[in-house]
Amino acid sequence: MTTLMQRFIPESREYLESAASGLLRLERDPTDQGLVNEVFRAVHTLKGASGLFELPGLTRLLHAAEDLLGAARENQLTLDSAIVDLLLDALDRVGHWVDELERSGGLPMDAEGVSAELSRKLRALLPECEGSAEAVSAVSQILPPGWLDNFTETEIQSAIAILGEGGPSLLAIDYLPNDDCFYRGEDPVNLLLQLDPVVAVKLAWHNHPVPLAELDPFRCQLRLRALTTMTKEAAEGLFRYVIDQVTLYPVPADALRPPVAADPRTDIEPASAPLAAIRATSAPLANSGMAGRLLAGQRRIAAMPGDPETLRRRSVALVATLTNLMHSLDWSALEFDLDGAGLAAAGGTPAPLLALIDLLQARLPVTADQSPLAMTADKDIGGLVATGIELRKSSRMLKVDQAKVDSLMTLIAELVVSKNSLPFLAKRAEDVYGSREMGREIKDQYAVIDRLAQEMQRAILDVRMLPVTEVFERFPRLVRDLSRKLGKQIELRMQGEDTAADKNIIEALGDPLIHLVRNAIDHGVEMPAQRLAAGKPECATILLAAFQDGDQVVIEVSDDGKGIDPAVIRAKAVEKGLIDAARAQSLSDQDAANLIFLPGFSTASEVSDLSGRGVGMDVVRTAIDKINGQVTLTSRQGEGTLIRLSLPLSMAVTRVMMVEIDGELFGVPMDGVLATVRIAATQIHHIKNAETFVLRDSIVPLVRLRALLDLPMQGEQAAEEAVLVARVGAHTVGLVVDRFREGMDVILKPMDGLLAGLKGYAGSAMLGDGRVLLVLNLKELL
Amino acid sequence: MPVICNKSTARFEEVCSIEEALPLLEFLKMTKAPKVDLRHCSYLPTALLQLLLLARPHITAYPEDAKLAGWLTPMLQNRLERDCVPIAAS
Repeated sequence: MTTLMQRFIPESREYLESAASGLLRLERDPTDQGLVNEVFRAVHTLKGASGLFELPGLTRLLHAAEDLLGAARENQLTLDSAIVDLLLDALDRVGHWVDELERSGGLPMDAEGVSAELSRKLRALLPECEGSAEAVSAVSQILPPGWLDNFTETEIQSAIAILGEGGPSLLAIDYLPNDDCFYRGEDPVNLLLQLDPVVAVKLAWHNHPVPLAELDPFRCQLRLRALTTMTKEAAEGLFRYVIDQVTLYPVPADALRPPVAADPRTDIEPASAPLAAIRATSAPLANSGMAGRLLAGQRRIAAMPGDPETLRRRSVALVATLTNLMHSLDWSALEFDLDGAGLAAAGGTPAPLLALIDLLQARLPVTADQSPLAMTADKDIGGLVATGIELRKSSRMLKVDQAKVDSLMTLIAELVVSKNSLPFLAKRAEDVYGSREMGREIKDQYAVIDRLAQEMQRAILDVRMLPVTEVFERFPRLVRDLSRKLGKQIELRMQGEDTAADKNIIEALGDPLIHLVRNAIDHGVEMPAQRLAAGKPECATILLAAFQDGDQVVIEVSDDGKGIDPAVIRAKAVEKGLIDAARAQSLSDQDAANLIFLPGFSTASEVSDLSGRGVGMDVVRTAIDKINGQVTLTSRQGEGTLIRLSLPLSMAVTRVMMVEIDGELFGVPMDGVLATVRIAATQIHHIKNAETFVLRDSIVPLVRLRALLDLPMQGEQAAEEAVLVARVGAHTVGLVVDRFREGMDVILKPMDGLLAGLKGYAGSAMLGDGRVLLVLNLKELL
Repeated sequence: MPVICNKSTARFEEVCSIEEALPLLEFLKMTKAPKVDLRHCSYLPTALLQLLLLARPHITAYPEDAKLAGWLTPMLQNRLERDCVPIAAS
């Protein structure tokens, strides 16, 4: 993939996104001229950029969308929901194509057809069908008399030759570019030359050419004519963007003059003015080496292979060049059978023409090469490159590959961890080498490094921070589409879009949030009639809110719909065999609502394509768990539902609490730790053979980590137990450990290789003194 | 910058763009006997071609690119007529 394409793909996504979000806002307020302009510009820029590549389908579709938006911009039509639907469809399609471009470097096979169909639909919406470009083309124009006089005899003859073969019919093209066509990026001559095959091209001044002194080089003054055997449809396709400047005429066979008996060589125009000037000084021309180079060039062209069509066209050009050259050198063209050689070359035997050119070359005086000129020019290039570099301004935004930022972050995290070895070193200086002074100095240095490392870490985390807008911005579209589909009226409100969190967190949020919003639309919000009956406004509100809470990012999805009916949930859970009836009755309403997070639970009676495949909420919880987040749900029947996702700001460095058990160190992730308490043996209650204790008026089960980890139990019961109170899922557990140690930042490395299957461990981390710390996964352990 | 103008020769390099039109015009206006070297030119936009057709500089080398040379050479060697055929009434 070319660099240009690599830049085009992300850029086009940005433009598509901004166009789509602009359209959604426009639908609400179609009169906002600024918005129309914004969307128009996005689509227009994208269309222009796509023109750099060979993507006709994509460009055509964008062009149609642009025309429609252009009409809206000039107030010729109002963007209603139907038009917005169609435009969004078109943008979606372009989005898919861009994805496909990234994957395979090309458009899918059906792109042309889809593009034509969608463009047609878009154009059909244009006011007064004059906008339909295809319709403008002159369908049955009759070739004006004398039109063909623009072409030379030779060209006409080759045209006759083609028609005589009984081959395809001839098409005449009259292309009168607009004055300002260059400003629109049109390149008439090169466009015309894309005709394949082209029989002849003729340029003429459209008006009296302006003298050089007054010339505006950016006004096109040319008129172009061409003959081709291309079909009319193909030609229309080629000129689709300038079709209003082009007239196509089918050439009737009798319009071509009958072949003239006279020697065609007499028909050749006299050399043009500059050539005449050159001829006046023909000796310098011969000496300059130019004639020699010209001949050498012609010889190369003549010797090149090609298909019959190319050969024929090429020979016409060769003959013309050689004739003019001979004119300017004052050699008689009649001396050589140029036309005969040209015809042979057209027929695929270049030998006579090559021999002729050799003959001409032999006649030229030998000249010295002009290499000094080339050398000075090279020096010029060097100078230009240098100034180019100076001129290039450094851009303020830096686009960096994520992998680079990631590796930088890993390095900084390693630094954060390895600085932890300094306190150990200080202790060694004191204990082993008996130098308190040295120990203190190391500690001082440690404080400095510690501060810098933490600042670096904060800085790099900042780089990775993305605003939640990244995930939020897809929802206006989702809500709009779904609510229209379901016939519900929903207003989506968003708050705190600027709240930032780590890129990984933001990216992991996408799918769960889609589930939640879909659920809210599908299950939460009632039909307008039901809402009115319940005394609520017809239009429901879904609120997406994000805010930072300590070192957590909280995202709330709430609706003012019907809420969750705990009775229905209970019945459903029992029916699905997820819990038994007695247990269901004992649950509080709040806990009953939380049953929807159980795997395999679905309240939708029938599976719709929106939500309700019975996996939704379970998937949400699993995904949020994976990024160490929490999901809580509160619902009031008849008033609505609120789902709150609490997520860590970052997940690069994990803070763990270290505990000591049987002389070994273990880590417990800090976000699960609620408290560390010391419980006297007398405070431990035994319920059957389970131990519990009371913490802040609630009964907390007590688990001995020694037993869980299969370590030998302590012989005698201590008078006081160190208990780490942790939250595991929705439960609170007390873990009995031997001793508490300090908290520490570590980079958690997941267990891999042979240890990958080991349950109960979240991973391992390296300690400052080189020991390996195993970090427990309490959820798996209990 | 693919059009390089030195004292008397404008050298066209590879893909020339319409942005070159102004400097080229300046060159053609200011130079007494302008020369143009198209040898390494591989793409010539209409705006530049139009200038060449108008100013008729001495072409010291035609493009090595055969396709370009094929159409460009006759175009630059023949005098351009003023348009004599009226535009068809549409």
